[in-house]
Amino acid sequence: MKVDTTNYLSLPFILSNKKPRLIIITGKGGVGKTTLAMAITKAYESVGKKVLYNCFDQPLNNSLSRNLNLPHFLLKMEDSAKEYIANKLGSETIAGWILKTPFFSSLFNMLPGLGHMILLGHIINKLEEDPELTIVLDSPSSGHALTMFESPQNFKEMFRSGLIVEDIKRMEDFIFKADQMKVVITALPTEMALQEAQDLELALKQRRVHDITHVVNDLLKICPSLEGSTSDELPDFLNKKISMEEELLKNLDSSWRLIPHYTHDKPSSIIKECSLLLTKEMHDS
Amino acid sequence: MIPSKKIEIFCGTGGVGKTTLATSRALKLAQTGKKVLLITIDPAKRLKQILGLENANEGEVIQLSNDVFGPHSDNIFALLMSPKATLKRMASLSGAGESLDNPIINILTRPYGGMNEIMAIIEVQYQISTNNFDSIVLDTPPGKHFIDFLESTQKIYQFFDKSFVDIFKYLGKKFTNENEKEKTGLLSLLVQTGVKKLLKYLEKVTGESFVEEFIDAISGLYRNRKAFTDALAFQEHLKKPEESNWFLVTSVDQQKVSEASGLQLDAQKFMHKDSYLVVNKSLMPYLNAWQPNESSTSLVKLRNSMKERENAIKGMATEGYKEVLFFPEILGTEPKSHVNELAQSWS
Repeated sequence: MKVDTTNYLSLPFILSNKKPRLIIITGKGGVGKTTLAMAITKAYESVGKKVLYNCFDQPLNNSLSRNLNLPHFLLKMEDSAKEYIANKLGSETIAGWILKTPFFSSLFNMLPGLGHMILLGHIINKLEEDPELTIVLDSPSSGHALTMFESPQNFKEMFRSGLIVEDIKRMEDFIFKADQMKVVITALPTEMALQEAQDLELALKQRRVHDITHVVNDLLKICPSLEGSTSDELPDFLNKKISMEEELLKNLDSSWRLIPHYTHDKPSSIIKECSLLLTKEMHDS
Repeated sequence: MIPSKKIEIFCGTGGVGKTTLATSRALKLAQTGKKVLLITIDPAKRLKQILGLENANEGEVIQLSNDVFGPHSDNIFALLMSPKATLKRMASLSGAGESLDNPIINILTRPYGGMNEIMAIIEVQYQISTNNFDSIVLDTPPGKHFIDFLESTQKIYQFFDKSFVDIFKYLGKKFTNENEKEKTGLLSLLVQTGVKKLLKYLEKVTGESFVEEFIDAISGLYRNRKAFTDALAFQEHLKKPEESNWFLVTSVDQQKVSEASGLQLDAQKFMHKDSYLVVNKSLMPYLNAWQPNESSTSLVKLRNSMKERENAIKGMATEGYKEVLFFPEILGTEPKSHVNELAQSWS
């Protein structure tokens, strides 16, 4: 099987001409977002960049993170909210008091968007404090990712004035100012998954997110274990799967980046391999 | 075939083919003469097209024609969840509709406004209460959001707890459909003072108009709280094996077996013991038939790693399930015939 490697996802491609400070990995559940986010973080680190991984409102995969020695930080919604309010009111006691009322704790529960916005605000603060830092955000899956991007606008309309609105504007400045944020949409090679990735991309563009890279993950067609094998050595179902992939790829323009199917049993090995792929050109040259 | 129940709930991490499987289950039930409501949340565009929901108003129940999946398809009714439509119907049922016409509520019930899960529970409970259908097949949001979905009944409860009522009393909002007497005890006075302080602080951060509109929004929700608290009954249906079938769906091409099993653990507190684990896109029949040449080590490695991946998923099923159901990967068919082929696998 002959493989054209020019369309592989690579770190130089992610960075091409721009230096995004916030890289958000999104897509449907189960498409390999965490693998890719961790691989990008490790690739960044390996070329000497200051980078941190964050899993937003999802729990961190501790064993994987330890295994990889992954540079990361964690945020807790309640703590972020408390810090924010304390900052605004100049009193941690009052902030703690407000958030302890059953009313406010249930308000945060009812409205995940409010929590997302506070987390995103916290992340942007961190980036503004340290101009050398890049954050790779393993974001919630598509639906909730849209909530995350839509929340600043929604809450701005709700609050209209006051300190929060000023902060939201500052957040939006960061998000929508060219070259600071990149979104990587990940999909699996099935017709429906690709369609959904395209729908998500459109929805993000409607929300003024423009720097988007789309990726097809888990491709058998370029699987390293199949390199050098001819189609008559492969069983029918694999040939069929590969030809289905080829059919799908034909309909995608050349801006789509590819990631192979890896044959490892350990997730950490797959992440390491993927991180090597991302920096391959840089090591070669 | 697995006997049908009043509620058939499909859950699992995203991208496992949950919606397609739920649709195939609805088709199978329809083919046995059941009247089925298929409720989906955020389905792929293609499936929307197939089900004829693409141009339908969100929140509207659509009867499928027999052109869709062949004979008996017209026993399937499909509904695409819409927080706004649910809110609208809620308002017209409660007779306190104008109280929900509030800028904040309007923003929150936008498609990604953040109230999806709670409104979905209200919608499902409403559809159950109409008794129009033999079975309701429910396709839930993926992954952790599915847990959010289930937990939202708990959130509803917390939201309407006592401290809440005190806030309104302080604010002097009139609840015309209420006959509650004013409490003037020392305790509630203290609570009231606290609330006053709290709102004063809040106003600095949020701007003045927000606090006023927020109070209106909350009182609107409060006047419609019957719809919210009725929805708590949904959880009870889900706990009863005689009323619900649970299908926890996972798929062989999943990138994260550990997350799927974590989800299972979280879900188990909401489920009853009579649940099914569904393994979708199984390649095992193909892999077992494949004997790569021993000399091509990379192919042997590939086959073994694919088998291992599948076995790891099977390994999740060691306890807590009545049965593990395998659905083979269906290679290269149109979504319509895909659903039909899967429907046949249900028998």
